[in-house]
Amino acid sequence: MAEQTQGAVPLSAVIADAATGVALALRGEGDPYALSGILRQSDALTSAAVRVLGADALAPYAVEHRAAPVGADDEAVVRQALAAYPPGADASQVSVWSYRGLIEASHAFLPAGAQPWPAPPEAEAAWVAGDPWPKLSHRVSQVAALALPGLAPGLAEQLAARTDDLARGFVRAVRRRDWLQAAGLGRWLARLPDAPSTLGLDSGLAFIRQMGGADPRVALHVVAAQRFYGRGW
Amino acid sequence: MTGGRGDPGLLDRMVQRSLGWLEEARPLFRLPSNVTTDADPNLTLKPLGELAELTQLIGVLHPREEIRTAARGLFAFAWNETRDGELFAELIRGEPFATYPVELYGVFTQAGLRHAEVDELVHTTTRLRGWRVAREDHTRTLGVLNAERRIGLRQHADFGAVLALTGLGGLPEPWALDRKSAYGVTHDVFHLTDWGRNRQRLPPELADYLRLWVPSWLENWLEEQLWDLAGELLAVTACLPAAPYDPVAWQRLADAQAADGSVPEMGAAPATGDPAEAFTACYHSTLVTAFAATLARIASDEAEAGPPAGDTASVGGRTPCESETAL
Repeated sequence: MAEQTQGAVPLSAVIADAATGVALALRGEGDPYALSGILRQSDALTSAAVRVLGADALAPYAVEHRAAPVGADDEAVVRQALAAYPPGADASQVSVWSYRGLIEASHAFLPAGAQPWPAPPEAEAAWVAGDPWPKLSHRVSQVAALALPGLAPGLAEQLAARTDDLARGFVRAVRRRDWLQAAGLGRWLARLPDAPSTLGLDSGLAFIRQMGGADPRVALHVVAAQRFYGRGW
Repeated sequence: MTGGRGDPGLLDRMVQRSLGWLEEARPLFRLPSNVTTDADPNLTLKPLGELAELTQLIGVLHPREEIRTAARGLFAFAWNETRDGELFAELIRGEPFATYPVELYGVFTQAGLRHAEVDELVHTTTRLRGWRVAREDHTRTLGVLNAERRIGLRQHADFGAVLALTGLGGLPEPWALDRKSAYGVTHDVFHLTDWGRNRQRLPPELADYLRLWVPSWLENWLEEQLWDLAGELLAVTACLPAAPYDPVAWQRLADAQAADGSVPEMGAAPATGDPAEAFTACYHSTLVTAFAATLARIASDEAEAGPPAGDTASVGGRTPCESETAL
């Protein structure tokens, strides 16, 4: 993937390749994970891809007992992405949360290095309580990368109060065959403590993997739900 | 979705406009002379049976007298079309082991309309061992059981045991529901609750399941503009204890109602100059809309009045039986 000619490769393909690498690492397969190994600092689209993947770029480092230590190259890749794509004044809530997730993940999973990581930006969360469930579900699926151990604890707490609504969004997304949204919601539901038992979350995640797992981003969410929260099969 | 009070003005307008269209459509509900021989029952008996089932309910339960009167007029018309029940004797003599004449007859017996010869016939046919043979469709079996109750016949199977085999009783994964099984679930609820008359028959476990998942299904099928199924899901919602009221969903169904009061089964109103074609495309959704809006109106009144004393979920005019037409 890193050998591809960047000029001819669309960002979506770079993201897909990186997501494949992350999912592989979460499954414990392939070579020891290094972010800088799948997204090289010198490649033109690396920062954009890291920004889109958000905290998931570092998800393999959240796995306990990882085999290889994190190198300084990873730090450079993340710092470059943070510097290149800070959320602007008119950024969407999803964008701010995703950026915040990448910083939180850096704090949690990367060594501090010579200079400290920036403080996570304030991210507004009134929408979590106020959105109607279809809109809430769409947004939450877009910040699925924050469903990692220890990240965004305040958001997780607020989302727990909307568990039933997120489960409704999951049902709607599966029925619409919107596998990416369904997988993202399933991943969050895996993290939340009280997903309704009649939802069938475990079989639902397996179903999504079977039906939509050809999309690496879908596969990544399903693998993360299983790896970190033991849901799905 | 909010709990509690709905929008009685909107709901009543929807019922009135639906009944207005149905009234105009009377000639198309009329049974042809070949109804017991070679007419297509889906175009003859099915529409009339639905008309009878749902106008009977509206005629008894709707809080507004002028609406009840209009509905009763349509119900009386339907009974008249059966020639005061004589039709059912002919149907049963023609097909003694078919369930649909019994299901249709049950719609009328719950209102006290009976035919002596039909009563004698069904007492014989429904006592056969053959009548007890399991049917392929468990939801339909619930309908037959309801009809037996309405007519006062011995129940050929245990209602709860059959319910457990249905798409509702099995509590399937809510994301695995397809269109056909969604219709099954709505009718499981209608048979179980006697079309909303006896909502307390809905066990808490099933009510919890429906309260959780109906909003998702409703959103899906509103999006697909499948108005009859959306209407049925709104009716199911109104059957829940302390029924929630979804103002956005109701407005979307209201917006689908055409100027003449008809509600198309799917998408936009059919562009056809053929009255029979327009009738086939609209009669079911229009009836369902009137039915659902009636149940939601009742639930809205209950929310206004606060929790009723005693039998918390039952409404006036309840009957001891349940029914199925070929709805």
